[in-house]
Parts: sequence; C-alpha cells; structure tokens
Amino acid sequence: MHPLLAQRERLLLYLSGWAFLATLLAALTAPGRWTWFEAAALIVPVTLVYAFFSLSIWYLVRAMPLTTVPIPRLVGVHLVGALASSMAMVLVVQGWAAVLRELIRWSVALTAADLRLLFGGGVLLYLLAAATHFLLAAFETSREAERRSFEAQLLARDSELKALRAQIDPHFLFNSLNSISALTSADPAAARMMTERLANFFRASVAAGRQPLITLDQELGLARQYLEIEQVRFGTRLSVAVDADPDVLVLRIPSLLLQPIVENAVKHGIAQTIEGGCVRIEARRRGSQVHVRVTNPVDAESTGGPGTSFGLEAVRLRLRAIAAAEAALDARREARSFVVDMILPSDL
Amino acid sequence: MPIRTIIVDDEPLARRLVREHVSAVTDAVVVAECGNGFEAVKAIQELAPDVVLIDVQMPKLNGFEVLELVEGSFAVIFVTAHDEHALRAFEVNAVDYLLKPVDAARFRQAWEKAISAVQRKTLRPVRTLGALGQKRTDRILIRDGGNVHVVPAEAIDVVLAQDDYVEVRAGGKKYLKQQTMGEMEAQLDPQRFVRIHRSTIINIDRLAKIELYAKDSRVATLKDGSTWNVSRAGYDLLRQLLDR
Repeated sequence: MHPLLAQRERLLLYLSGWAFLATLLAALTAPGRWTWFEAAALIVPVTLVYAFFSLSIWYLVRAMPLTTVPIPRLVGVHLVGALASSMAMVLVVQGWAAVLRELIRWSVALTAADLRLLFGGGVLLYLLAAATHFLLAAFETSREAERRSFEAQLLARDSELKALRAQIDPHFLFNSLNSISALTSADPAAARMMTERLANFFRASVAAGRQPLITLDQELGLARQYLEIEQVRFGTRLSVAVDADPDVLVLRIPSLLLQPIVENAVKHGIAQTIEGGCVRIEARRRGSQVHVRVTNPVDAESTGGPGTSFGLEAVRLRLRAIAAAEAALDARREARSFVVDMILPSDL
Repeated sequence: MPIRTIIVDDEPLARRLVREHVSAVTDAVVVAECGNGFEAVKAIQELAPDVVLIDVQMPKLNGFEVLELVEGSFAVIFVTAHDEHALRAFEVNAVDYLLKPVDAARFRQAWEKAISAVQRKTLRPVRTLGALGQKRTDRILIRDGGNVHVVPAEAIDVVLAQDDYVEVRAGGKKYLKQQTMGEMEAQLDPQRFVRIHRSTIINIDRLAKIELYAKDSRVATLKDGSTWNVSRAGYDLLRQLLDR
C-alpha cells in the first residue's frame, strides 16, 4: 500500500504542499498579461492532477531502492521520468487552456516562454516529489527494522524465560548415576536410597517447573533434596544448613529460582575447594519483602567468582521480568565465601 | 609385572568405581588413589605409574594441569562426566577418554588400549597444553619436587631464560620451570607481559622507566630497582603496548 494513500492526513499534507507550489507556479506565469485568477485556474488543477500522477513515483522508488541501485542509474531514470512527466504536463496545460478558451472564452494565450517556464517547473516538481518519496521509503524501512528488532526481542525474551526456568545440569545426572554405580556393589542400600532421592528430586522439579509460582517451603525442599544428592557425591566435603523464618515458608516465589543459585554454590564453590564447606541458605521476612541469602565457601586463591555465570544471569533476568522494581539480586565475592542475596516482594 | 595404576578423582565414590573396574582386570595394582591434583602430582612423580586414570574437573589443579606438571612415561585415561574436553584430551596424547557413569565394557576397551601401549612401549609422550600453544592462563604452575606452586600471573615480575628452564620471579621468590620462553610467552597475557629481550619477559605493571644508554640499546628499570636489557624488537613491542 502506498504510504501516502494509506492515511488521509498524509495525503492532505502532500496535496497542500502541491497546492502551495502550484500557486507559486501560477504566480510566476502571471506576468501581467493574465489576472491572478486566470493563472490559478489554468495552473492549479493541472498541477493537482500532476500531484496524483507523481504518487506513482513511489513504485519506482520501491523497485529501485537507493541502497542497491547505482546512483548514476537512479539519476538517469529519474531525469528521464522528470522530462517525460513535465512534457506531459505541458501538453495537458495546453489542452486545458484550449478547453478553457472553448468553454468560457477566456483569452489565455501561452507563449513559448510560458511553456518553457512550465516545463522547468514540471521538472522541478517531479524531482521534489521523487525526493519526498525517497525520504518516505527511508522512513518506512527504518520503522520496519525497528518493528522487527522489537519483535525479535520479544521472541528472545519469551524463549529465554522458558529456557531459564532452571534447566537441570545434565552433568548432575551423570555424576549422580556414577555415584549410584559405585554404590551398587559396595552399599546396595545406599544405592537404592540415592536412586529414590534422584527420582524424587526430578519428579518434584518437573512438577515445580510447570507452575509459575510455588511456596518458598517447596522451593527450599527442592534445594534440600538436591543438596542431599550432592552430599552423597562429595561426602564430607559438603555440609548443608537451611535456616528460614516460619512465616516466610508460605510465601510464593517464582519456581526454581533458587535452584540455579544452589547449583552454582556446589559447582563453583564446593567442587572447587579441596576441603569443602557449608552451603547455607537463609530466608527472612523484612516488611513487604523476602530476603533469601545463599552462602558457599570458595577457593581463597581463585580470583574470579561465579558472578558472571550463566545461572546467576538467568536468575537476574527472570527477576527483572517478574518484578523489575521490587526484586533484586546481588552476588559478591568475599575473602573465603561467595554470597548471593535475593530480594523478592512477599505478595507474588 | 603387574600394571601400576594411579586413580585421581576428587569424589570418593568415583574413585571407588574406577578401582572396582581396575580390580576386575588381571595383573593390575592400584599404587595410589588421589583426591586432588596436588596429591596426584606427588604420587605420579614418586611412584612412576604405568597407567593414570584421571578426572578433569578437580579443585585447584584440574586433570590437564596435573599432566602439565609431571614427567614420566605412562598411559593417561581421562574419566569425566563432561564430554567437552575429549578433543583436548587426545591432543595431549591421552590413550582414551571415558564418560561417567563408566561402563565396564568401555572401561575394558580403554584399559586394553593402555596396556598394549605400555607393553609395546608405543606410548606417545604426554604433551602439555602449554606446548600446544593453546592455553592462555591466569596462573603459572610450577613443580618443585613433589610440591606444586600456583603463581597467579599478576604476581609475576619477570621471567628469565635459564638454559632449558625458565626462571619465574614473583614477589621476591624465584621458581624454576622446565619450559621454553616461547611457550611461556604464549601462555601469558600479551596485554600485560612483554618479551623485551630474547631472554626476558617483564610484567608491564612493574615497569618504572626505560632509558637509552647506547645506540639502539635500552635498559628497562622495574619498580624494584632491577634493570634489564631491552632489544630493538622488544622496544618496539613495549612502545606498541604503552602507546595504546
């Protein structure tokens, strides 16, 4: 659809621009021999027809965009267009003058100088219209690009949120199965218990993943189950402490939000230290907010923390999507520990 | 002669499983089980094993770093839950790469490969990632007998060529490491370390001044007062870095 015909306001603006130019042209061709009114009656209707005719430049601009067609060729095409259209306009003016003479016996006589002036005006008008259409095309293209990038952003955020809904690390499964395999011959009862824990954890996390919100009690339960399984793998290197105020347990939080933080605490904390330590989870109520803190030991000699890890970034994005203003995530490295503080509104 | 084997994994259960697989094959003896890379370096140096079964992900020193620090002729089999290191493993001439959970048939296959290489003496020497020029590191590992020093790159002041070794000076201490200057240069961050001379790499943060003392001959003074010759090529490198 032609962008000027698509909206009435635009078309009106376009035509009033032309009317102004037509009046100007009429003024130029009224060198005393004609009255103002005569000149306008001759020129303005023809120019307005010319205006409508010039709308077709749009299709030329579309077919030969500025970005792909070489400039000399563009200039050539539009120059030929300008000369041809202007020639046509001059012929139409002459015809219209004849009609006027026949119809109401006006004594309008067009001299060669008038025709030259009209021809020049026609060329200029064509070029002006072409420039307008190029501008319009550029405007449309940039708006289209903007719309597409916005759409892409929306799509990306959508799929991101799905992916971020805490994918359980497959290596967790492989390592757990390896532990079970080791226990099978040495301690069959422990192997069976580990199998059950693993099954329960996966079942619970799949169920939690289907719901957008679960209670903090459920989320902490999942974290506990996860850590119990990792305790089998890491033995004495991993101890766990969960400390939550009773009144926060019933509050609802986005499901599996804590899970990647706890996974990080094991993967980047416990697994990177020889002596291991305690993964501590605390949950407190502060007014209309819930404060959750996860602390884990880190290797004192390592420089980086898991602050830029994908897991934490995912949590941060989810928090922003869910409650941008009232939620926050802060992760910091201290001398021998890594601390993640999460603040959530209590009324989710 | 029984095959002398060392098992390295930071997880007790993972070690137990590998030990079980090893004990199922005849003629093998586990001479050491190590729970971390430091123990592994010491054990491999002291016990001269035929086969080393080693995890990649471990605290402080990972499996590749352990191999970088030890000498000797032994077959390496990686045992890990992560498949993404397989290519690197074969580049350092590992005999095989087993994924956890390890299955018995696959273990036997890897073991036979290792044993045949050990017995026919067709073992290819373990290559280090440093020698492959692949690894840029933020710390330098140096073995001193059975002990391992971990020197953070930012703590290094200068690295000097010493015959077949490089001497790493960091915080007033000197460490010798068997490596070439070229390998060392490739491992260190080029934004921070400059080879100012064939036999000298300096940490640019330690540089105090550069002086001309003869035509085409300059001397760099570090903040600790030590002075080092700067070659013409070295000066060009320094200037490139400092101009930026």
